[in-house]
Amino acid sequence: MLIGAVSALVGRFGRGLITAYIFVLRGIPVLVIMLLGYYMFPALGYRVPAYVAVATAHIVYVSAFVAEIVRSAINSVPMGQIAAARSLGMRHFGILREILLPQATRIAIPPLLNNSLTAIKQTSYVSVVGVWELTYAAREVVERTLASFQIFLGVMAIYFLICYPLSLFAGWCERRTTVIQ
Amino acid sequence: MAMIEVRNLRKSYGALEVLKDISFSVDKGEVVVVLGPSGSGKSTMLRCINLLEEFEGGEICVDGEAIGYCEDARGVRQRRKERENAKLREQVGMVFQSFNLFPHRTVLQNVMMGPLKVQRQSRQKIEPMARDLLRKVGLLDKADQYPARLSGGQQQRVGIARALAMQPKIMLFDEVTSALDPELVGEVLRVIRQLAQEGMTMIIVTHEIHFARDVGDRIIFMDGGLIVEEDAPATLLANPKSERLKLFLRRYQGDYLTE
Repeated sequence: MLIGAVSALVGRFGRGLITAYIFVLRGIPVLVIMLLGYYMFPALGYRVPAYVAVATAHIVYVSAFVAEIVRSAINSVPMGQIAAARSLGMRHFGILREILLPQATRIAIPPLLNNSLTAIKQTSYVSVVGVWELTYAAREVVERTLASFQIFLGVMAIYFLICYPLSLFAGWCERRTTVIQ
Repeated sequence: MAMIEVRNLRKSYGALEVLKDISFSVDKGEVVVVLGPSGSGKSTMLRCINLLEEFEGGEICVDGEAIGYCEDARGVRQRRKERENAKLREQVGMVFQSFNLFPHRTVLQNVMMGPLKVQRQSRQKIEPMARDLLRKVGLLDKADQYPARLSGGQQQRVGIARALAMQPKIMLFDEVTSALDPELVGEVLRVIRQLAQEGMTMIIVTHEIHFARDVGDRIIFMDGGLIVEEDAPATLLANPKSERLKLFLRRYQGDYLTE
């Protein structure tokens, strides 16, 4: 979010850097990012737990998408809003806090929710590097019990239980910030 | 004494020169109306006075202080610090063609935004003042509504109240009735006229020639980034000297030539 906010506000050079960052990360499949994160730390000579490695990779990956959502939300606030705020004598930070962010938040909530749900479900990919999470655990149970269909049905239910309240929460946020148009 | 002094103002967008050497001044308490065809640079000129636009040449002084730029020790023109410019902008109220109210705030919050967030005054002190302003523009009963619930004319009156809340020395009106239905124009012009009677210094960019004649102490006619004519409304509208103004008046309000 911070990256997105910065990118909407900084000059051309900074934006170029951030655009490159987003451009590169968005072009990589999440599985590749996970593997990259997993092998990167040892390659650089650090020993970190696999969990930390893939979590870091995932956060970096998701940040690129969130940045883009936040940037476009801020940019979608009409220029006249900034002109009006400036004419009152407001300055950069005040305009951002009082005028741009409140309006951008409302615009950004639906895509942010979409993105969060995707991010949660992407965690299932970390099983490939042997980090113990829901899908990985399910596979272990399946190996022991051989009740594959039932177990994965249960897994589906658990993912749903995690994601559904999030959808409800986002819906609530959206209603709360909705402005009568 | 001149409240606004514009000297040799120049501005271009790339190769397009929109303001070519504009000079005029506005006295304290004077109402100057700017007329001119679309693209004549009148709105840009107004936005320069409030520093919403950069300008490449010339000088604008508000109440004796140069805005936007200053010269350093070597006489090189430099942009003043944002903090100083924001301070100068506080003295200049601006009302926009497209209202630009803050949609996520109520009418009352819109009016209090400036004093609260810029001047850092206390809410208890400001709220009565804000309500007074809303009463003045006839919208006290709408204080807790959101802007989108209001008609265009009502929104524009809130826009005026919001600008007045900063207690500016000058008010700038940028085609404030152009986006309104004809029957809503009157209520906005009434508020502006009242301000004029109270002695507010104002520059009004408009297409309402009748209003210009009623409320203006002076009319400036602009075309092609230049001031073509400048005179008292009665003189200027009755005896336009330049062909350009004659044509303009004939097109907009033919009746002025035959009166």
